[in-house]
Amino acid sequence: MPTLIHYRDKCIGCNVCFEMWPVRWRMSTTDGKATLVGGIKKKNLHILRVSPGEDEINVRVANACPVKVIKVQP
Amino acid sequence: MATKIKILAPVGSFESLAAAVQAGADAIYFGVEQLNMRVKSAGAFTIDDIATVATKCDEHNIRKYLTLNTTVYDYDKNLFTEIITASKEAGVDAIIASDFAVIMECRRQGMPVHISTQTNVSNLDSVKFFSTFADLIVLSRELTLKQVEAITHGIERHDVRGPSGELVKIEIFGHGALCMAISGKCYLSLHSNNSSANRGACIQNCRHKYTVIDQDSQQELEIDNEYIMSAKDLCTIDILDKIAATGISVLKIEGRGRTADYVFETVRVYKEALAAIDEGAYTAENIARWRKELATVFNRGFWEGYYLGRKLGEWNETDGSKATQKKVYLAQGVRYYPKLKVAEFKLESGKLKVGDEVLVIGPVTGIVRQVVETIHVDNGPVEIVKQGFNFTIPFSAHIRPTDKLYKLIPTEYADADPLP
Repeated sequence: MPTLIHYRDKCIGCNVCFEMWPVRWRMSTTDGKATLVGGIKKKNLHILRVSPGEDEINVRVANACPVKVIKVQP
Repeated sequence: MATKIKILAPVGSFESLAAAVQAGADAIYFGVEQLNMRVKSAGAFTIDDIATVATKCDEHNIRKYLTLNTTVYDYDKNLFTEIITASKEAGVDAIIASDFAVIMECRRQGMPVHISTQTNVSNLDSVKFFSTFADLIVLSRELTLKQVEAITHGIERHDVRGPSGELVKIEIFGHGALCMAISGKCYLSLHSNNSSANRGACIQNCRHKYTVIDQDSQQELEIDNEYIMSAKDLCTIDILDKIAATGISVLKIEGRGRTADYVFETVRVYKEALAAIDEGAYTAENIARWRKELATVFNRGFWEGYYLGRKLGEWNETDGSKATQKKVYLAQGVRYYPKLKVAEFKLESGKLKVGDEVLVIGPVTGIVRQVVETIHVDNGPVEIVKQGFNFTIPFSAHIRPTDKLYKLIPTEYADADPLP
C-alpha cells in the first residue's frame, strides 16, 4: 500500500493540503501546522498507509505543498 | 543629530546575530517558526531560540525586536500567542506586527508593538490611528523623503503619542532588497507555486527572466531588460544626510535571508556614515568609498528607492548578485592556539595560498577578514595547501569548530560602479 509521509517540522502552515484534501489533512490550532489525520509519528516523520485509489489526489497535494514536506511513497 | 538615528540590523541566523553585534548595530530584528516574512529564506529560529537571542543582545546592550508580521489565520492564534508570551518573558523589546489579531494580542499581554511596513502606513492620519497601539511605526517603502518629513513633523505638531506617552517614532528602510509590489504585498508566488509571500514563503518570481509574447502575432515584444520585474536594491548611502534631516528615529536594513558578511558590512558602513554626518566627514570621497564597500557583499545593483520622487523602480539586469566580491568555501575550523595566535583549519575544498584574502564566519566568532601571511602543515611552511589537509595560519581572532573559512575573490563586477 502507498504511504503518505509528512515532514511536519518544516511545514509552514499554508493550509493548501487541508483546502485540497480535508479527508487526510487538518490545520492544528496548537501550533498552526498541518496534521496528517491518523498519521503515526516516527521520529520527525508522520506516516500513514493509504489506499492506492487515493494516489491521484495525494500526489496533487504533495506537488502543491510549497515547501515540499509531503511525500507519497508507492 | 544623525547619530540619534538607530541602525536596525536583520538577523536570520546566529552567525548574522554575531555579525550585527560586532558591527555595532543598535538593534536587531528576527523571526521565529512559520509566522515571519522570511520563513523560507532565513535560518529557522524556533520559540526556544528567543531567550538565547535576547540574552546575547542584552550582553551587548542591543535592543531586539521580533517580527510576527505575516498574514495570520484562525488556526495560528495559539502559536502567535505563545510566541508573544515567550518574547515577553525573554525581554524582547517589541513585536513587529501587521495583523490586527497580533496587535490585539500584544496589547492584551502588555507587549510593545511596532507597526510593520506590511500595513503600508503612508500618511499622518494612519500614524495617529496606530498610535493607540504602537510607539514606533515603520512607514511604507514607497514614500518620498518629503512625505516622510511631513509625517515626522506632523507627529510633533499634532503631538501624536504612543501607549508609552512618548511621541511616536518613525522607522524607514535604508538598505536592501526592494520588491516590485507595494511593501511586499504580492500574489505572484502564491499564484504560481501556492507559496504565499504574505506568509513569508515568497519564491521570488520577480527575480526571474521573462519574455513577453504577443499572443495574436506570436511575436516577442522588444523590451530593454528581460528581468522586467526585478527591482534593484535600495541603497541610501548617497542621501543619508537628507534622510537624517527628515527626523526619523530608526533606519532599517533589510536582509534576514542574506549572509552574515552582508549584515556586518551594511551595519558597519551605515553606522560609520551616520557618525560622519555629525563629524563633518560626510564627504563625496567617503561616500564613494562606502558605496564600494557596500558593493562587496550581496546586492542586485543599487538605486535610492522612491525617496527622491522617482515613480518607477530601477530594474536589475541580472539574475543574481552584483557583489564585487564573492566568497568560496574552503575550510572548517578545528581549534585555536591562543598563545601562538594561530588557528587550525581543515581544507575541505579548493586550495588556499599565501596572500589570499579570507573571511571566517561563525555563530560565536561572527565575521573576521584577513590576508593569509603564512601557511603551515605537518611538514612545515608551505605556499599552497590543497583539499583534505589540516593547516594552520596566524589569526587575530579565536577560531572554533563551528567556524567556516571562505576565500574572497573578485567577481566580474569588481570594477563596476554600483551606483552609476
